[in-house]
Amino acid sequence: MSAFLQQIINGLSIGSVYALMAVGYSLVYSIMNFSNFAHGGVIMIGAYIGFFLMTAFELPFIAAFGLAAIGAGLLAVTLERIAYRPLRKRNAPFLYFIISAMGASIFLENIVIATIGPTFRTYPRVFSTTPFQLGAISLGRLDAVMFIISGLSLLLLIYIIEKTKTGMAIKATAYSIRASTLMGVNTDRIIFIVFGLGGVLAGVAGVLFGMKYTVYPQIGFITMKSFIAAVFGGLGSLPGAVIGSILLGVIETLTAGYFSSQYRDLIAFVLLIAVLIWRPSGLMGKITEDKA
Amino acid sequence: MKKRVLFLLVSTLLILALLVTGCSPQQSEPADAPEEGEAAAEVINIGWIGSLTGDQAVWGNCEKNTVEMMFEEINENGGILGKQIRVIPYDTRGDAMEAVNAVRRLTSQDKVAAVIGPNASGQAIAISSVLEDMEVPGIATVATNPKVTVDDNGDVKPFNFRVCFIDPYQGAVAAGYAVDVLGFSKAAILYDVADDYSQGLTEFFEKTFVGKGGEIVAKEGFKFGDVDFRPQLSKIKEADPEVLFMPYFFKEVALSANQARELGIDAVLMGGDGWPSEVLLEMAEEAVEGSYFVNHLDFADPEVQDFKDAYTAKYNLPVELNGYLAYDAVKLLESAIIQAGSFDPVEIRDALKTANVKGITGQININPDTHNPEGKDAAIIKIIDGDYVFQQKYSAD
Repeated sequence: MSAFLQQIINGLSIGSVYALMAVGYSLVYSIMNFSNFAHGGVIMIGAYIGFFLMTAFELPFIAAFGLAAIGAGLLAVTLERIAYRPLRKRNAPFLYFIISAMGASIFLENIVIATIGPTFRTYPRVFSTTPFQLGAISLGRLDAVMFIISGLSLLLLIYIIEKTKTGMAIKATAYSIRASTLMGVNTDRIIFIVFGLGGVLAGVAGVLFGMKYTVYPQIGFITMKSFIAAVFGGLGSLPGAVIGSILLGVIETLTAGYFSSQYRDLIAFVLLIAVLIWRPSGLMGKITEDKA
Repeated sequence: MKKRVLFLLVSTLLILALLVTGCSPQQSEPADAPEEGEAAAEVINIGWIGSLTGDQAVWGNCEKNTVEMMFEEINENGGILGKQIRVIPYDTRGDAMEAVNAVRRLTSQDKVAAVIGPNASGQAIAISSVLEDMEVPGIATVATNPKVTVDDNGDVKPFNFRVCFIDPYQGAVAAGYAVDVLGFSKAAILYDVADDYSQGLTEFFEKTFVGKGGEIVAKEGFKFGDVDFRPQLSKIKEADPEVLFMPYFFKEVALSANQARELGIDAVLMGGDGWPSEVLLEMAEEAVEGSYFVNHLDFADPEVQDFKDAYTAKYNLPVELNGYLAYDAVKLLESAIIQAGSFDPVEIRDALKTANVKGITGQININPDTHNPEGKDAAIIKIIDGDYVFQQKYSAD
């Protein structure tokens, strides 16, 4: 029993990292209707910003953490300006946005390889590796911190979307960008804010990921899993992204723990495909047809 | 079938590469090429290949520096058989195809007597067909995969040699030490299912450990690129092993060791030559405290200090593991040339088959049937207070 609980804890902790990354995909998708593959690149840059602030400038964790989140937010907004806005102004097809996003992602990865180098870096240790013991179950300190930070960031995001006027405008824009424009919503500003929010979350996720695992230029690749989790939960739905991510994390750990670690990805993804056959728009997705 | 496709691919690329390099002006003969007929002033070319760029550049540079430093010294002392030696180094960029090109160039254009390197098994396996075509011997440095000197059918490759021990041997040494010296009887293994090195070590660790009466209580796999090992480790924890064998490279070792400790696994950790690195201690100093790993030599051995000091004085860099094995590759080649009494590549090859020389990583007795150094001692290193502390020489039987 305690082994089972331990695996659930492992799954929740892996899932909470996926969730932080997945909401970024879902946020942008809900407004812009395309999958922003540059999100992984922003997460990676966020992780590097945090790393250099803590090592080269020796800033305390909290300061580095905040600045990395802001830095990643600025990067996301800049990317929107350079890579997507020109396309948007020309009413380009969705496919072009995806190509542009992939280009941006490859660009970010390679600029890091060229300037910082291809080898991985390690964050200085902030939290002790001695875990909390809850009976026979151990919970890593960093995992607990990640849980809390992920939870708070997601709550804050939900608050912004549900309780503020800007959030209302975001929801309206997500529903119909054209109608919102007609109603006097400044949709350029809304898109700017959405990218900013997604970027800040990417920065948070990047720093947490870097602290837990290491920093390397291909971090973006891991975000493929969180993208899949977002699809699984229903692209465009924030609760869907969170639930999809947590489920993916738990399914992965249980598969590895009770069936076979070699077949982990295989079994986990076959399950996901089965869910998508049963519910094509994901667990909580809105039913749409023209989304790329 | 797979082999034939690969061969076709390799040869097509080679032809293309020859066309490309053939046209480029920079590939002209070296300016100080020896004049024909001037036997006394003749300079003998020896090739070196390895990674000078990319992930493994640190190791490659160290090998190149070592080889150049040693031949400089040999030349100052009158050369080998009265002839001066020139080292021609080529960068493989860590790429098997580049390694093949480099060997092709060394053997056909530079007319080298022998090739030293590369350090990585993937490249060392790739170059054997060229070495065989051109009948030039090659001595790999840290290429530990069995297939470097032996083909798929178990037949020895006529022109490939090496100075390091092989993966299965490392696995057997680790298991033997765990049972016979440390007295463990319950082991768990976590290994990289997508990596030949990791699989080779795992297979022979398991065989030896079980053969000595131990029990493997858990065996879990992961895939290269994974960063979270907790699901597998939680399963291992349930099996409650005394020793956890981790036959993979330092980054994954550091991550998985930290996660194992976080889950409360207190088993002794063991590993192979993928462990030693400054990064390992930086990332997981507390987690790997008290762990053991198998290495090619003891870095603090008094016998290696002269070389270490000379190297550091000349290049102002620390010596990597590869430097020691490159040193032994040069020693082995030197002794083979002297024994052959000639710089003819085939005669050097014949001498290499039975060469034995005292290297700094141990006694190297080449076995003519495998072209591997036979019964070479491995060094068992323990991590104590964040330092690599040599325990003893150990060889598996």
